Amino acid sequence: MTIRTLNKTRVGSVGVPTPLVDGIEKVTGKAKFTADMPAQDALVGKILRSKVAHGRILSIDTSAAEALEGVLAVATGADTPIPFGVLPIAENEYPLARDKVRYKGDPVAAVAAVDEATAEKACKLIRIEYERLPHYTDAKKAMEPGAEPLHDDKPTNVYREVHHEFGDMAAGFAAADLVRERTFRFAEVNHMHLEPNASLAEYDPERDRLTLYTTTQVPYYVHLKVAQTIQMDPSKIRVIKPSLGGGFGARTEALSFEMIASLLARKAKGTVRLLQTREDTFISHRGRPEAEIKMKLGLTKAGKITAVAEECIQRGGAYAGYGIITILYAGALLHGIYDIPAIKFDGWRVYTNTPPCGAMRGHGTVDARAAFEALLNEMAEELGLDPFAVRRANLLPTIPFTTLYAQKVMSYGLPECLDKVMKASGWAERRGKMPKGRGLGLACSHFVSGTSTPKHWTGEPHATVNLKLDFDGSITVLTGAADIGQGSNTMAAQMVKETMGVELNRIRVISADSALTPKDNGSYSSRVTFMVGNATIDAAKALLAILSQAAAKKLDARPEDIECVDEVFRVSGGQHPGISFHEVVKAALVDTGTITVKGTFTPPKEFQGDKAIKGSAIGATMGFCYAAQVVEASVDEVTGKVTAHKVWVAVDVGRALNPLAVEGQVQGGVWMGMGQAMSEETHFDDGRMIHSNILDYRVPTAIESPDIEVFIVESMDPNGPFGAKEASEGMLSGFLPAVMDAVHEAIGVYPDVLPLTPERIVDLMDAKKTAERTAP
Amino acid sequence: MTILPDFRYIRPANVDEAVAALAGKPGAAIIAGATDLLPNLRRGLGEPSVLIDVSAVPALALVEETADGLRIGAGVKLAELALHPVVQRDFPVIVEGALAVAGPTHRAAATVGGNLCQDTRCHFYNQSEWWRSGNEYCLKYEGDRCHVAPKTARCFATYRGDLAPALMVLGAEAEVAGPKGRRKLPLAELFQDDGAAHLKLAADEVLVAVTVPNSAKGLVGSYAKIRIRDAIDFPLVGVAAALKRDGDKIGQIRVAITGSNPCPLPISTDGLEGQPWNEATARSLADRLNKTAKFQTTTTVGMRYRRRVLLASARRLVDDLWEKAV
Repeated sequence: MTIRTLNKTRVGSVGVPTPLVDGIEKVTGKAKFTADMPAQDALVGKILRSKVAHGRILSIDTSAAEALEGVLAVATGADTPIPFGVLPIAENEYPLARDKVRYKGDPVAAVAAVDEATAEKACKLIRIEYERLPHYTDAKKAMEPGAEPLHDDKPTNVYREVHHEFGDMAAGFAAADLVRERTFRFAEVNHMHLEPNASLAEYDPERDRLTLYTTTQVPYYVHLKVAQTIQMDPSKIRVIKPSLGGGFGARTEALSFEMIASLLARKAKGTVRLLQTREDTFISHRGRPEAEIKMKLGLTKAGKITAVAEECIQRGGAYAGYGIITILYAGALLHGIYDIPAIKFDGWRVYTNTPPCGAMRGHGTVDARAAFEALLNEMAEELGLDPFAVRRANLLPTIPFTTLYAQKVMSYGLPECLDKVMKASGWAERRGKMPKGRGLGLACSHFVSGTSTPKHWTGEPHATVNLKLDFDGSITVLTGAADIGQGSNTMAAQMVKETMGVELNRIRVISADSALTPKDNGSYSSRVTFMVGNATIDAAKALLAILSQAAAKKLDARPEDIECVDEVFRVSGGQHPGISFHEVVKAALVDTGTITVKGTFTPPKEFQGDKAIKGSAIGATMGFCYAAQVVEASVDEVTGKVTAHKVWVAVDVGRALNPLAVEGQVQGGVWMGMGQAMSEETHFDDGRMIHSNILDYRVPTAIESPDIEVFIVESMDPNGPFGAKEASEGMLSGFLPAVMDAVHEAIGVYPDVLPLTPERIVDLMDAKKTAERTAP
Repeated sequence: MTILPDFRYIRPANVDEAVAALAGKPGAAIIAGATDLLPNLRRGLGEPSVLIDVSAVPALALVEETADGLRIGAGVKLAELALHPVVQRDFPVIVEGALAVAGPTHRAAATVGGNLCQDTRCHFYNQSEWWRSGNEYCLKYEGDRCHVAPKTARCFATYRGDLAPALMVLGAEAEVAGPKGRRKLPLAELFQDDGAAHLKLAADEVLVAVTVPNSAKGLVGSYAKIRIRDAIDFPLVGVAAALKRDGDKIGQIRVAITGSNPCPLPISTDGLEGQPWNEATARSLADRLNKTAKFQTTTTVGMRYRRRVLLASARRLVDDLWEKAV
């Protein structure tokens, strides 16, 4: 792919910091979110949730609720006989529970009423009898022989086991001078997206049509699952995603509230607004599972990794969700960052009586990467090696590179990332010489730029984008890609601008409305810039070709000699001053009228994994984003509190299409890693969720936010749109092991349980003192 | 999200009207900044029949230098309190306490009276109606069992105000208005050791002011709030101390804690005055703290840590004050 040289000062051009095209609406409060959608006559929807962590439903009596004045619809599992799930091979969740409830909060019934008070009253009138069953909030307890199965088809409560082995493990560990094994525990975390879940469902009983406004990253999956579970022809459903207050993976699958709102609207023959509280949103969850990871590494004296073995148990929650993919990712991304000759992974995804886990920024890899890097740092120390030197000893030898897992690495900026953060942090001068209670730590990480295979195999292109050009000279980008705040609308506009040589304000982006925009798989696994970006370029090229044809005719030249720069079409190298965009549009529309073109993108087969390796479709990608980061942190020896002061992070994003957005995404990614490392965790007490508010679920505040200095590394991926790759997930996991390393320099302990709460740090300091006292 | 219960709303113009509004209405509640009461009401914690909004009472919003000392109206906002020049000059520990509360937007609305009288907290109590009903409610509200200490017949919900200990170590007095007029009492006596009824205010009384005596001007004070996040969080435990040095001896020392028991508590310092601040007196203070603080599992952070960090923080706090007081 060639990169055109452009006037770099023009906002919207690739590589120029560009404010998001919908930024003004966001900062002025004009942007409409789902809960803001005007609907004066909307009924109030309310979900009645299970108060039992695990139980068989013996009976549900809704008669009193139905008899209550002002109640328009009452729904139960009897209305939802078809289960859903994001993976076609594991659909085991009902919008409303049928035979069983499997966690506290499982939706059991729902009500649509004229107002909130009536809806609440109606919920209280619904009588449910349960036969209580033993419940588990601990994965290992759920796996014990004799434990009550959550799902009949998985009598051991193990939803998926994965066993992968590549290379000669025995030879690998035999070749090592140092072999160490350590078990790490990572608490479960939630996305804490700012906007709570909400749906507005408008049902038109005359035409049997449904319009659903909803808080989702995947309007297309929502469309499919609503049609499936409420048994409606998908052609009669329209799904619209208004402005969205974040997602981070929480909304990468259709969730029960969206189906319940739709069901209630149809039952009530009207419009239902279903707003979810923060507690409801915590219950919907889909966060990163609690994980126990046993990591074993072999290292030579020179720091070369000879083998790695990981065992991972994930507490997956009550339903399948993305579980198979999460556990596969935990092993798949042991590959692709370093050159390791032998890699083994054993993983267990376990059903428990807790809210279902799902995808969360850095899907599946974060805890595994943190464990790996933390152990690598510890072993480097033991061998007397610098952490940077150990990373450099294990870099991929040649690019392109094919991993043992059949992933292709086409661009690799990790070496430069290491150089950048080493220099910026003053590592060589400062590491090992920090004042008491303060330290520096390093870690690397990576992530995919979209999975190359869609979850729903249709044979369709991976991404499709339409462009419309009309008499007014405006170009409308129509894309199903959900802008969830990450800036995909801006990215799409930039692709058109750059490809066609037109002004940014000529381009309008309409996204995520199934009545207008072509289907898109959604905003997950950092696929949008890569896939939708390439599809947009494809469409823009098609449109440019049509315009060039028209211009060529007017200029009496060959279309291939026509170029469009700053909205002027001229013959390349010719004398003619050129003709304006408007003139060319007029000419192009003669005989054809409004022009609509389509662009698509599908990753070539060689990037879709190796059929011989089971599960290798997960972790298969066209490009990895790479990151290195140094964290400076201190520990208060009285309170045990860890403070992160500064982060230097360098990220290979292929190319920063919009450095402003990239910087924000990188800071957000690091910041989210910081939350997981420092203070975020869910708490359950006997099946009861304790943490379902932002006081007890401690997402960091502005005060906890360190200065995050971002260095953009551009490796120019040969397949990425203008060389771009993923830019928002790859840096997240590195924060965890980097701050663990910094804590070690500060106070001499190796943390192995996250988050690093003051309580845990104090325990580690106490244990160290005790060990020192009892040492001979 | 969750709708508020139905209530009558009264906005008195002066203290007398507020007291009159309270009279004969056992279900009435005072509201000012609303940062404590409103979130609770939205979770179904309480159904007051009347809300008496005292935010329009000018007299409550005053900070005045009086003959008895600095009189701080109960309606003074925490943000204003922290910026008040006299408070900053004479009683920086109050500034520390006020600024430790929640976040800037809370402090812009929250008042001194509201902060002092804030409800006690427990993770079995500060939950939604759905959550609590699934747990058979609790002793503090609508239930008959304490989930923290099921064998006891009392409530251990924890007091988590930051201002109370800071004011207590200065010897502040509370001023309460009722149908029979005003009464003054040491701030510590405003509280009692019961998580379900931690205020010793009669149903028809309202806290109108606290007064910090002029004698407290000679004390050097500070407040240590232990929490995981440096904004928003309530204290896992908090300790305030104020002292005066008499050469190498402790001239005067006062210590108070919060975040441990159902009410903020002064720590007895009898016998410490006249002694030097050294390992022995530090150990003695630690023993007293240890005896007074009664931690329970009312939050997600463990009791052992909270006890440990209370002792360690108190030591650091007094060590620092001892140096500063020279």
